[in-house]
Amino acid sequence: MECHERTMTNTLTFQSKPSEHEAEKASNSYVMSLVALMAGLPLPIINLIATLAFYIANKKGTYFVRWHCTQALFSQLSLLFINSFGFWWTISIFITQKDTINNNYISYILVVILFNLIEFIATIYSAIQTRKGIHVRWWFYGDIADLICKP
Amino acid sequence: MKNIILRGILLIISFVFVWFIFSQINWTSILKVDKATEKTEEKLGELFWNVIKSNETVNKNPFVIQSVDSIVTRITTENKINKNKLQVHIIESNEINAFALPNGHIIILTGLINASENPEELSGIISHEIAHLELNHVMKKLIKEFGLTAIISISSGNTGAEIIKEMTKLISSSAFDRSMEKEADLKAVEYLVNANINPESFADFLYKLSDKENKYSKYTTWISTHPESKKRATYIINEVDNKVIKSIPILSPNTWNRLKEETQIKIN
Repeated sequence: MECHERTMTNTLTFQSKPSEHEAEKASNSYVMSLVALMAGLPLPIINLIATLAFYIANKKGTYFVRWHCTQALFSQLSLLFINSFGFWWTISIFITQKDTINNNYISYILVVILFNLIEFIATIYSAIQTRKGIHVRWWFYGDIADLICKP
Repeated sequence: MKNIILRGILLIISFVFVWFIFSQINWTSILKVDKATEKTEEKLGELFWNVIKSNETVNKNPFVIQSVDSIVTRITTENKINKNKLQVHIIESNEINAFALPNGHIIILTGLINASENPEELSGIISHEIAHLELNHVMKKLIKEFGLTAIISISSGNTGAEIIKEMTKLISSSAFDRSMEKEADLKAVEYLVNANINPESFADFLYKLSDKENKYSKYTTWISTHPESKKRATYIINEVDNKVIKSIPILSPNTWNRLKEETQIKIN
């Protein structure tokens, strides 16, 4: 059996198609971060904790499952940095009054929303595709997953 | 591995680049942030000033107003501050105090004019209050003391007169935090130097009033709301040491003496 791998630009062919159970687990790693993202807003750490918990739980899973858990985890990790910065900037404006609302702050929040939105859409897409057994590979994060996960 | 690092850097660069592009758009104007803030400030200033106006005696002596105005004009002109944004009011009171209210109101009590030994000392305090306004400390303090929700509610007219009265009392008699005071002091020094007024008089005034034994000790509200005056006088002097000061008299001795006479209040 063959499995298609989709990247941002091309479709590659994998040697074996994951089982129904594997596809479900891999897909859940994305679903998990989505649910946590929605539940954890505006606290930026919740989604990472949820994804990390799922990653640890599946550490001994099959290659396909581990690979997707890693990709989901690292994509959440980068969001953590930009979201945390935005979170504390907001706190410094509205709670501690050390800063005021200015162009830089509004632009930052808009870029954070944009990046979160891109990530959100990519995560939904990945969840759907991996559920079908299609290997979705993200630009940069796919490389990290390759580096960390060995078959 | 090299490829991954390169892609990671590219991702960070793209984030910063998009942020930079976004920051070129004037969001505060598009989202009317400035206008909303201005309106709130305007309304608050009006509310607080109305309370003071109806509870205190406003000095309407043209000579007093004109003399103080000439000090304010020198400071604002030499520092490129829009004077029209400021509204200076003189209140009859023994208290040695001056404070700033939102929307550019500066309240100077006659006790302060009377306790100043020369126009330069008075200029120091006025500069300090202008600095609080220019650095947006007044609104920051209000939000810190009462919270953003309360401020918006007050400015939209949903608060009783008694509460506004209490708030006015608090804002006129409570201190800014230490960092804001220092920032306003240093800004005041900058304003004074630019206006060719020797800031040493400002330091002298702080030092003099911080002395508990002085004859004004009963009335020094400004000092009680501005703690650590000796320390402040010291860092003002240190700041002045690094600057070249050209001192041009701000009021003639006659004008100053008359101003003091006109604002004379018998100290018990």
